[in-house]
Amino acid sequence: MTRVIEVPAHFDDRSFDQFAGDFGAWPPEEKLLVDARGAQWASPYGLIALLTAGQAVAEARLERPLLTVPNSDEVKRYWARIGFFRHAAELFELHGRVPKAAATGPSDVLLDVTPVRAMEDVHQVVEKISETASRILHGELGLERNATMRFSMALSESCQNIVEHAGTSGWVAVQVYTFRRRLGRRVAVIAVSDAGIGFRRSLESTHAKRFGERWGDGAALEAALIQGVSRFRDPGRGQGLAGIKGFLDRWKGKISIRSGTARLSIVPMWDDDVPLADHLPYFPGAQVQITIPATQEAESR
Amino acid sequence: MIETIRIGHLLRETATSPYRHLVTRPTGAAVRHSIEVALSRSDCLTALLDFSDIELLDFSCAEEIVAKLLLAQASQQPRFVVLRGLRDDQHDAIEQVLTHHGLAVAAMVADGETVLLGFVSGDARAAFTCVCRLGRACAGDVAQALDWPEARATEALESLTHHRLVRPEGDLRYPLLVA
Repeated sequence: MTRVIEVPAHFDDRSFDQFAGDFGAWPPEEKLLVDARGAQWASPYGLIALLTAGQAVAEARLERPLLTVPNSDEVKRYWARIGFFRHAAELFELHGRVPKAAATGPSDVLLDVTPVRAMEDVHQVVEKISETASRILHGELGLERNATMRFSMALSESCQNIVEHAGTSGWVAVQVYTFRRRLGRRVAVIAVSDAGIGFRRSLESTHAKRFGERWGDGAALEAALIQGVSRFRDPGRGQGLAGIKGFLDRWKGKISIRSGTARLSIVPMWDDDVPLADHLPYFPGAQVQITIPATQEAESR
Repeated sequence: MIETIRIGHLLRETATSPYRHLVTRPTGAAVRHSIEVALSRSDCLTALLDFSDIELLDFSCAEEIVAKLLLAQASQQPRFVVLRGLRDDQHDAIEQVLTHHGLAVAAMVADGETVLLGFVSGDARAAFTCVCRLGRACAGDVAQALDWPEARATEALESLTHHRLVRPEGDLRYPLLVA
């Protein structure tokens, strides 16, 4: 038996739950066929979620899943240029012609799909993004000049969470694109995903008791993002997410974290997402999206 | 005596790779260890940590370097610590981690003025500015300059002294970078 997982035509954080729901119970018992033939567009969140699914299946020592590549040449070229197929080939049995990746990624990609396995990778991610971030964040999105550093700090802290808490490796990608339906403006998006133990298991031994029967994926996300707790006893821990929240408040940005069966977001005025979505289809690890919109001045130029 | 420690130099010596950014906890912990080694070999009263070669300082490194250094000072041979060469975003990171711990540190800003970062009351900040402007001050001097009752000035100076943000000599309090 093969279970078919359909990649949504427009694959982003909104359509992710549909994708996660296709897997059924984890770990899936059947061989998986991830069908991306109908994909018309995927955000960095969508692409690294695909890789996370492949990684989770590999780490569960299940049969290597199949992935049928998009029919659209344009979509395939884009996925190749952002580095998706290079990593997907290690996790999936790819079906369909995959174009060769260009030497350099598209100009709106701040960071190709990049694995995060160790602290050394965090250094490299920050080094790499500092070369292009200023041009895009200040020049195109109109953020203040020193926003580049704050953006890199948010990226650094998000990636470190994988190394310190996930118990396995993960993925990061950063891109600029237009949020047509939700905002009508360009946004910079940091997407980080891992196939690890998730927030609930990470925090369970130190914080579950305090929440009593309320303890679950949603309560764990609340503890981490709202209360700034960490699994470490060190009282200085848990400040990375708090710092990111401070920046996002200044930039009218959004952070959304999905782990297990829940998603918690700090929702700015321009978005209509719910703060806490619970009882969602289970998906391994944690997925973080940080969205920073262009200023209105930059959009009206 | 003031010992100037260039954090950029320490980063290059400490990290195995030639990075310009102070990111990740292990890197921060390694740099803090190097600072502590340098201070253990010095009989200085004040450590001036110069961040001017550093491009990025994330929250983890701010915590590992500045907050933990200040926490360790409480249990070791205590020094006064002053920061220099910080940019706005680095101010933010240090301000947040110190506030979280109830700590504070003095930082020189671009025009040579010294400001406080971290968890400090409004009165203590005002008294600190007053001591820096006067060059040295007792509670009576601060009370007169700020038009406060002397008890209020005494309390503010005690808070600054407790956090090692001014140097005490008898009844007088000195800015940290005055020899």
